[in-house]
Amino acid sequence: MPQEQANHQQAVAQDTQARGADEALGQVGQAVVAEAADEVDVLDELLDDLSSVLETNAEEYVSSFVQKGGE
Amino acid sequence: MPQLHDSSSRTAANRSAHYADHARIFGLETEHGISVTGANRTVTASEAAMEMFRPVVERARSTNTYVDNGSRLYLDVGAHPEYATAEARTPLDALLADLAGERTMASMGADAQAVLRRKTGTDLTVHLFRNNVDSVGHSFGCHENYLVRRYVDLAAINDQLLPFLISRQIYTGAGRFAHGRFGVTQRAEFVDETVSSATTRSRPMVNTRDEPHANPEDFRRLHVIIGDTNRSQWATTMKLGTTHLVLCLIEAAARHEYLSGMEKMALADPVAANLMINDFGGRSALHLANGTTLTALEMQEHYLAAAEAFVERFPQEAAQSLGESWNDSSDGADAVGGIRWILDQWRWILGRIEERDWPAMARKVDWTAKATLFVALAHKQGFEGLRDPRLASSPLAAKLTQLDMDYHDIANGTLYPALVRRGMMTTLVTDSQVDRAVREPPSGTRAVLRGRFVRAARDAAPDVRWTCDWTDVAVTAPVRASAILLDPFSAEPTADYDAVMAALG
Repeated sequence: MPQEQANHQQAVAQDTQARGADEALGQVGQAVVAEAADEVDVLDELLDDLSSVLETNAEEYVSSFVQKGGE
Repeated sequence: MPQLHDSSSRTAANRSAHYADHARIFGLETEHGISVTGANRTVTASEAAMEMFRPVVERARSTNTYVDNGSRLYLDVGAHPEYATAEARTPLDALLADLAGERTMASMGADAQAVLRRKTGTDLTVHLFRNNVDSVGHSFGCHENYLVRRYVDLAAINDQLLPFLISRQIYTGAGRFAHGRFGVTQRAEFVDETVSSATTRSRPMVNTRDEPHANPEDFRRLHVIIGDTNRSQWATTMKLGTTHLVLCLIEAAARHEYLSGMEKMALADPVAANLMINDFGGRSALHLANGTTLTALEMQEHYLAAAEAFVERFPQEAAQSLGESWNDSSDGADAVGGIRWILDQWRWILGRIEERDWPAMARKVDWTAKATLFVALAHKQGFEGLRDPRLASSPLAAKLTQLDMDYHDIANGTLYPALVRRGMMTTLVTDSQVDRAVREPPSGTRAVLRGRFVRAARDAAPDVRWTCDWTDVAVTAPVRASAILLDPFSAEPTADYDAVMAALG
């Protein structure tokens, strides 16, 4: 059935794209974290800058932000 | 066929001066989210927003006012503090006006925080978010406004512009981590229509309501709703600059009656394409109405080629569209935010996306800056990446959701300022340029006249009553005088305007 074939092809395409995106997002992290100790130092220093927000309760922070829809 | 001929009541001599070129008026309206943490009771968005606007109400007897630089401050439906930038002639001026708005809003937020701390006797924190979604799925916007020639019809907007607006998100998307998932855009899941004139009940991508704030026979105002609010100054400038060039090439084709080549970009299902790009970025396979398929990256490459072709065919018109002189030896040619800069940066970013050069992109593109950090944090805690199935239900997921919001907090955010301080996020302008934009309107537009009026009105005697809007300035007491300013490109006083200024005393 043409529709089933189309659906199957779409599913395959989406699966390929999903793996591509995994690879993409994985590479994003690797590019920062991998190779050099430099990269890890930069991340750790940045995390020091963020200590005040990292120490607060995330659930409370997130759930406090409730707005109505805009225009 | 596009309507190129004047109606019987207009002649060439009556046309606006800029009807025959590609000069643009840019405007950004940013709705903010607001929240309070650390109080001893619930402080709602409404209460915090009203506190922010109390000084405005005391001064202007309204939650809607215009400020010295010609921009508009407004408390929008749903307790969204909103800043709408004054008319700007270039993307860089619009960026500066937008950053001036950020500065102004942050200052109002800080004042509200001080008052609320005293009121509650706590050390509470007011968060002011330049983003597009709250924690429960209410969405709100960063709307771009572009003045476009009237002869560009709605079919051109739907077929040629809309696919560009959807695919540009591969570098303009602000990204969002929420409910355990990361997407390239903030708003994709909340956009349910394409081109519409409704504003509150549905969420279209482009709105066509026709209040152009200019001569309606010559211009329409394109109101783009689909864009994310960016923190990256590069992304804001590119969002405006690339869209400007696409509008130029569409206008040129309509005006000279040839095909731009972008007609074939029309999407089979724009809403589905938007969701695809949210999940898969540049490599999303987009189905076109003509039955073919392109990736989002390939689509952008086509638009860039068409923009380059426009600039090559009409170099003078292109330069003059942003007020540049057309001269190869001019230093202005490569100025940040200029025509050459936009094209160079556009070619550069598409190359980086092609090469998967995430570290280079992270310095310019908001979604990549976030994803870089979030993936690194995930790896550090032993997850395989943001799609690790264990991540969504872990404590890290809540933390990433919080960091995603913090990135957009202009009152008390830590992440974005840290990235700038460490040279990990590019900036295009200096603090003193932004200070100046808080005080002064963008040059060369109607904002100059409105700003001058607002400054004089504020200094006038207490019994003087005044109002203004995008297209008019008026004194209502003790004498009455009003002036309509229909041309957004004009900074020249009219006789009526001079009379209004005189009436301020």
